[in-house]
Amino acid sequence: MTGSGEFAEFLPAYLAEVDELLASAQKDLLSVEEAVRKGLAQPRAVRELFRALHTLKGLSAMVDVEPVVSLAHWMEASLRLADQAGGRLPESSVEPLVEGLRAIEVRVRQLGAGKAASPAPANLLERLEALGPQVLESAPRPGRRVVLDAEAAFASRLAPSEREQLEGGLAGGQRALRVDFVPSSERAAKGLNINTVRERVAKLADIVKVLPLSGAAAGGASLAFALLLITRAEDVTLLEAVGGPPARVLSLESTAPATPPGDVGAGTPEPPGAAVPGGAVLDEELDEPEVRRGGGLLRVEVSRLDETMEWLAALVVNRSRLTRAVTALTQAGAPTRELTAILQENGRQLRDLRSAILRLRMVRVGDVLERLPLLVRGLRRATGKAVRLELDVGDAELDKAVADRLLPALVHLVRNAVDHALETPEERQAAGKPVEGLVSLTCHTRASGQLVLTLRDDGKGVDAKAVAAAAKAPVPDSADALLDLLCRPGLSTRQEATSTSGRGMGMDIVRRIVVEQLGGELRMETRKGAGTTFTLSVPLTVTLMDAIIVECAGRRYAVAVGTVEELIDVAGVVRPAGADGVGLVERRGAAVPLVSLARLLDATAPADGAAGQGAKALIVRQRGDPVAFAVDRLLGQQEIVLRPLEDPLVRVPGVAGATDLGDGQPTLVLDLGALGAARAIRRKRAARAGEWVS
Amino acid sequence: MNVLHVLFKVDGTEYAMPAADVVQMESFTGATPVPGAPAHVAGLVQVRGRVIPVVDARARFGLPAGTPSLDSRVVVGQLGERTVGLLVDSAREVLKLDPRTIQPPPPMVVEGAKGFVRAVAQVGPRLVMLIDFPRVVGEEAADVDGQR
Repeated sequence: MTGSGEFAEFLPAYLAEVDELLASAQKDLLSVEEAVRKGLAQPRAVRELFRALHTLKGLSAMVDVEPVVSLAHWMEASLRLADQAGGRLPESSVEPLVEGLRAIEVRVRQLGAGKAASPAPANLLERLEALGPQVLESAPRPGRRVVLDAEAAFASRLAPSEREQLEGGLAGGQRALRVDFVPSSERAAKGLNINTVRERVAKLADIVKVLPLSGAAAGGASLAFALLLITRAEDVTLLEAVGGPPARVLSLESTAPATPPGDVGAGTPEPPGAAVPGGAVLDEELDEPEVRRGGGLLRVEVSRLDETMEWLAALVVNRSRLTRAVTALTQAGAPTRELTAILQENGRQLRDLRSAILRLRMVRVGDVLERLPLLVRGLRRATGKAVRLELDVGDAELDKAVADRLLPALVHLVRNAVDHALETPEERQAAGKPVEGLVSLTCHTRASGQLVLTLRDDGKGVDAKAVAAAAKAPVPDSADALLDLLCRPGLSTRQEATSTSGRGMGMDIVRRIVVEQLGGELRMETRKGAGTTFTLSVPLTVTLMDAIIVECAGRRYAVAVGTVEELIDVAGVVRPAGADGVGLVERRGAAVPLVSLARLLDATAPADGAAGQGAKALIVRQRGDPVAFAVDRLLGQQEIVLRPLEDPLVRVPGVAGATDLGDGQPTLVLDLGALGAARAIRRKRAARAGEWVS
Repeated sequence: MNVLHVLFKVDGTEYAMPAADVVQMESFTGATPVPGAPAHVAGLVQVRGRVIPVVDARARFGLPAGTPSLDSRVVVGQLGERTVGLLVDSAREVLKLDPRTIQPPPPMVVEGAKGFVRAVAQVGPRLVMLIDFPRVVGEEAADVDGQR
C-alpha cells in the first residue's frame, strides 16, 4: 500500500462511494440468493451486482487498493458470465460471493480506520476465480436449444428476462408467438382496441410483452402493436381474438434452429450478441453508471449540516437582538411599523430555513434498514432455522441521529426474534406452523411526529414463567410488567444463549436506546405459541447536545456546554448590601455578578445558604454580560437528548426542555442566560407592584 | 347509553371524568418541578418515555396540600394533541354512569368549584363530581385544542 498516502485526499470520497456500492451489492446478492434457492434467474439483480462490482473495481484501482481490486475482479468476471447466461448463478456460487463482499467490506473498513488494507485471502481468490467456469457449466443449456427468431421477436427491444420467458415457454413445449394487432376506426367502433385485445389474448396466452410498432405495418396502417406470447392456443383462436386479418400470427421460434445440443462445445458460451441478443453487457454501457446512480442525490457530511445549523443559530440570536433594538426604538417613539413588519417576515423566513435544514438531515428508513436482510441471512445460516424477513417500511424518513441510534436496537430485536423466539423447523412443523418462520418489520409515521416501528415474529412467544425464574421475580401479570422484567439489566435466560445472541446487548439496552436516548416508547405484546410483537415509537428528530450536569438543592440540571464560558470555584464572594443576595466574584480582574441557581429556581431558598459554601459556578452570558450561576456540585458532562416541552403549562423562559439521565425522572435542561433574564424582569415587576412573586 | 368514567378522590370528595379521555393511570413517585410554571403544576413526570406536565388537583381546587402516598395516582388525560396528568389522592374505580343520573351542578358547587365541576352524578348514595378536564388543566387548552 505504497500509494495510500498519495491518494489520501480522495479517500473520504472513495469510502463514501464504496459504502453505497457495497450496500446495494449486498441487497442485490440477497435477491440473487433468493432466486437461486427457487431455481429462478434474477437477471436484474445479477446485472446490478455486476455493475456495482465493476464500479467498485474501477474506483479501488484509482486509489490503488490492490486487494479490493483483485477480489472485485474475480467476482465481476463470474457475474459477467452469469449476466450473459440470462442472470443465472449456480447455488454453490452464492457463498463465495457473500464472502467476497465481506472481505471487501473488511478492507474498506480498514482503510476507513486509517490502516492499510490487508491482502486478499489467497484461497478466497481461488474460489472466486473458479466461479466463472461453474457459472458456465450451470448455464441453462436445455433452454439454449430453442432460439428466438431475433427479427420477429424484436430481440433488441427485449429484456433478458423477457427473452428467457419466451425461450422457457418454448422449451416447456408451448408456442412462442407474435400476434400483430392493427387498430382502426371500424375496429374501435366494434370495441376492438389494444386494451380489449390485451384482455382477450390474456385469456388465451401469457403476454410477455406488448410493443407498439410504428411505420408501415401489416395492413398498411401507420400504427400497430405486436404482442409477444407464450401459449398453447391455436393460431385461428388467437386471430379471432384480435379481430382477424389484417392481424397475423408469427412464430417466434427460429426457422434455422441452433446447433443441436451435442454440438455445443462444453462450457463454450454462445457468442454474445448472436444467440443472446441484447443480453451481454457491453463495456461502453458501463462507463456511465454514475449518472444513473447519482439520480439527483448529493452526499453531504453530517458535520457540514451541523455547521449550517450553527450559523442558523447565530442568525436566530442576532434576530432576537434586532427585535430588542426595535422594541426599544418603538418605546422611544420612533416610527417602526415597517421595521416591525420586516422583522415578522424575517421570523417566518428563519423558521422556514430551520425546517429546510432539518429536512436535510432526514434519511429514508428503508436505507437505514438495508442491512437487516443480510443479518437475517447470517442468522439463518448460524441457527439452521428457516426464516423470512418481511420489510415494509414505505418511504418514511427520520433524522440521521435517530436512525443511527435506532439501528442497533432493531438489530438486537431481530437477532432475538430469530434466535430465541422462532422455533426450529421441526418444532414448527410439530406445532402445525409453516416451517419457515416470519419476522416482519413495518413502520409508519404518526401525525404527532413519531415514527412507529412494529417488529413481529410468529415464534413461540415470551415464556413469562421462564423470565420470572431468571429474574427471580414473581410471574408478571401483564405484558408491560413482563417487558419490565425482560428489560432488567443483566437478565438472560442464559441456558439457551447461543453464539449469535446472548452476548452483546440485552433488552435493557434496547429500552435505554428507545426510551431514554430517543425519548420514545417501547411496548410488547406476546402470545404463547403465536408470537411476539414489539412496537417502538420514536420521534422523527431529536436534538442532541453536550451538556454539563450540575446539582443544585438536591436536584440535577443540565446546561448546554456551548452556553457555558467557564466553570469556576466560588471563593471570595462579596455581597454588597441591598443587592438582594446577588454577590460579586472576581474573574480575571473584573467583578462578575454571582447568582444562586437555587434561589433563581425557587425564590424561597435562602439567598446565601449552604449553596454559597465552597460551591461551583457556571459563567454564562446573560444579555451579553457574564454572570456566574452558583450550584452545589458539578456532576459531569455528557451528551443528552433534549426533549422540548410542548405543553403551554410548562413552556417557560429559561427551561429549554427536559432530558432523561437514566433514572426515569425528567431532568430540566436550563438555559441559564434566559432564566436569569426572565427572573430579573419578574423581580422588577414585582418590586414595582409592591409584592414578591415567586 | 351508559358512559364509562374513571373515578378518583381528592380530599375525600369523589370526582370523575370520561374514561375515553384517560390514556392511563400511573402511580406517583414525584415530579420534577418547573420553575416559573403556574402554581397548580406539580411538575414533569415521564410516562412511557414521554415527558408530560402534571397538574396537582389539590392545588388547582384550592385545597390544602397533601402528602404523596402509595395511593396517589396520576390520571393521564388526553386533550386533543396535549397529554396532561392530573395528580389525585387515589383512583381505584371505573364506573358506567347513567346519563339520567347526571345533573347540572347546584349553584353553590359551581361557585365553590371555580367552574371545574361540569355536572354531578348520583351513584347510589354517593355524589360524584364530573370535572371539566380542559378547564382543570388550564385555560391554555382553548387555544391549543380549538374544538373543546
